[in-house]
Amino acid sequence: MGKLTIGCFSSLVGSMSLDFAIKLSEAAVKKGHEVDLWLSGNGTMLGKKGQGKFRDYSYLMGTVKELINSGKFKITNCEACAKARGIGREDTEEGFGIASMDWYLASAFGTDRVLHIGGE
Amino acid sequence: MRLAVFLSEYKEPAMLERLKAEKLGIVLVQNGVYHAAVKKDGKVSPVLSKDVEYYALSEDLQSRGFSDSDVVDGKVKVINYEGLVDLIFNDYEKTIWL
Amino acid sequence: MAIKKIAFIVEKLPYKSETSRLALTHAIASQTVEIHLEDGDNVEPVLIFVGEGVLNCLKEQKALDMYGVTSLEMHIKNALLLDLKVLVCKEDLDTFGLTEDSIVMDAEEIGGEVTTEVVPYDEIQKNLESADHLMFF
Repeated sequence: MGKLTIGCFSSLVGSMSLDFAIKLSEAAVKKGHEVDLWLSGNGTMLGKKGQGKFRDYSYLMGTVKELINSGKFKITNCEACAKARGIGREDTEEGFGIASMDWYLASAFGTDRVLHIGGE
Repeated sequence: MRLAVFLSEYKEPAMLERLKAEKLGIVLVQNGVYHAAVKKDGKVSPVLSKDVEYYALSEDLQSRGFSDSDVVDGKVKVINYEGLVDLIFNDYEKTIWL
Repeated sequence: MAIKKIAFIVEKLPYKSETSRLALTHAIASQTVEIHLEDGDNVEPVLIFVGEGVLNCLKEQKALDMYGVTSLEMHIKNALLLDLKVLVCKEDLDTFGLTEDSIVMDAEEIGGEVTTEVVPYDEIQKNLESADHLMFF
């Protein structure tokens, strides 16, 4: 089994790229692979506590929690990107890591495949 | 190199013409699936004119009102997320999201 | 002990979105990645500007004055100061009528020794092939 590192820089609301990243992660974990998901830029919104579940907006937290519980999925917010958006540790859902950008590069160093989904 | 290029928009990125690879795959996702599912002025998208492997994500086709059989060119393979995971690990070494 | 090469490719315009800025900041983060790795392991970054992305490299950007944010010009200078390899596509500069005089070529004023390399696209393709991973911003 391999390891996939995904970087996603797109917003939870206003883009479906995070939806894609989570569904791809789910499929990879189901196949027995490990996944690291790095959230940077507007992607850090995914980790924000207290998100409302509305039919007109993406809501991924349920799947994210299941992935975290699988033990094969690490999800990490870019510290500076999150902080710039007013999202600190206390505002971030349990199970999300918070790290500086070098975390993403270190994950890329030790992985089999990287899928970098840039911002829009 | 074996390179998978993800196209997520219904336009032809300039970079696509320039990328060279021993094995090149174009993976149509999100709005990129329109390249596989519609004709404009009766013509198939120029994105499909290359001698490369093509894939379109079934979930994104269905989300936009198409079925897997609506793909306008037989060289496009329709895959799901599980198939995509296999492509990434088994068929290509590097990926690019355009 | 291993070195993994990561190519950070910038092909979007600056400022309207955060994308090219994040390319620079992530590439520069390679300077501290060693703290996460085993002794002797490291990441070798190469920063590549292609297409409209070459417009990130223009000199005399006043983003700090106008928007209150660090300019892409300054980020590129920081990258050069930290000895990152910076490649700019010659054909794309030509498309916009730009020359080496128009873009950030060095960071001499802050002590940088490395200079920007203006190269044909073929050279960029070689770098894409030799990289372990590609990150398109």
